[in-house]
Amino acid sequence: MVKSPFDDTEVVCVKALVPDYAIVHVQEADIYGNCRILGPSYQDALLARAARKTIVTTERIVGTYRMQEEPKLTAIPHMLVEAVVELPGGARPGICYPEYQTVTWDDHKAYQKAVKAGEVPQFAAKMLEGRL
Amino acid sequence: MEYGKDYGKPEMMAAAIIREIREGDVVFHGLASSTPMVAMKAAKALGKEFTYVTLSDGLDHDWSNPPTVASTLTANTYEGSVATFGLDEIFDLYASGKGDIAFLSCLQMDKSGRIAMSYLGGDYDHPKLRGPGGAGSATLTPVTPRTTIWKTVHDKRTFVEHVDFATTAPDINKDFTLITPLCIFRKPAGEKYLKLDCIFPYTTVEEVKENTGWIIDEKEAPVMDPPTEQELAALKRVDPHNILAFEFK
Repeated sequence: MVKSPFDDTEVVCVKALVPDYAIVHVQEADIYGNCRILGPSYQDALLARAARKTIVTTERIVGTYRMQEEPKLTAIPHMLVEAVVELPGGARPGICYPEYQTVTWDDHKAYQKAVKAGEVPQFAAKMLEGRL
Repeated sequence: MEYGKDYGKPEMMAAAIIREIREGDVVFHGLASSTPMVAMKAAKALGKEFTYVTLSDGLDHDWSNPPTVASTLTANTYEGSVATFGLDEIFDLYASGKGDIAFLSCLQMDKSGRIAMSYLGGDYDHPKLRGPGGAGSATLTPVTPRTTIWKTVHDKRTFVEHVDFATTAPDINKDFTLITPLCIFRKPAGEKYLKLDCIFPYTTVEEVKENTGWIIDEKEAPVMDPPTEQELAALKRVDPHNILAFEFK
């Protein structure tokens, strides 16, 4: 709580979080990192602005002309993005509207188990088998 | 209307939530909030004119999209929206005084409406149970004119004499409401403590007292009308998979 600079009221100040990395999955990105989020975007764009570096995984790489056609649909611009990874299904076992809309529960449970067992790298390797 | 036959606790709570919404309101519900989600869709089906905002980014989505899971982050609260309006924008909207109701929940609450969402038991760094924290609760509760907490259990573990670590607390100058499966408590603007406002048809003031960890001063309370046929029909229409029941299992 600090004194407001405008009047005598007390205001709450919250220190800005600056993550080292934001990792964001989007439906479309170009090779420069311009991203389109085609559906709920939650706070992904804010995360990209807050983090020192942002890594984008994308359902597909598209031509920059897509962004030029509808610049308002670019949720995250390229200068905020450090790396782009083409990774269809990259949000699984979660969801990515409208590509896949239901949680894959078996994989989700396996992930929870892996977290508890400290075996996340093994889980990730299994999820990515034959895909990279 | 007969309790257990025509309706049960889920339908009564949903009806109570529907009745909180007034024409012209801007109304928000949070994450994992199947109870207010179904109730707000039903309020739309009943023809209430209000603005529906939630975390999916969808603003006034097509309320006739049926939910298929209890998550409130699925396409059903997004498709058919007239605009996208994200949580950060919703926080700004409510902080500017342009929101009316936020339907939120809690792990624990005490008589002054102080809410635990961060942890239970132990201390902050070594909790027995780590909660989700209070994104919506902490941000919206103090600034929302009619914060309304919904909780689908009513017991002494939940409604306690004193919350050890309050993630958020209501503004003394704003209305604040708690809806449980048994009753409604209200803290009117200008007052500090929750008062028993009304009870649902299938319970008694005694039962409410027995299951509440704080002292209830009220000796009697009016009984809220059971859900109407129209309300029940609206709930059925918007929720054919009975997602409303999920929180009551």
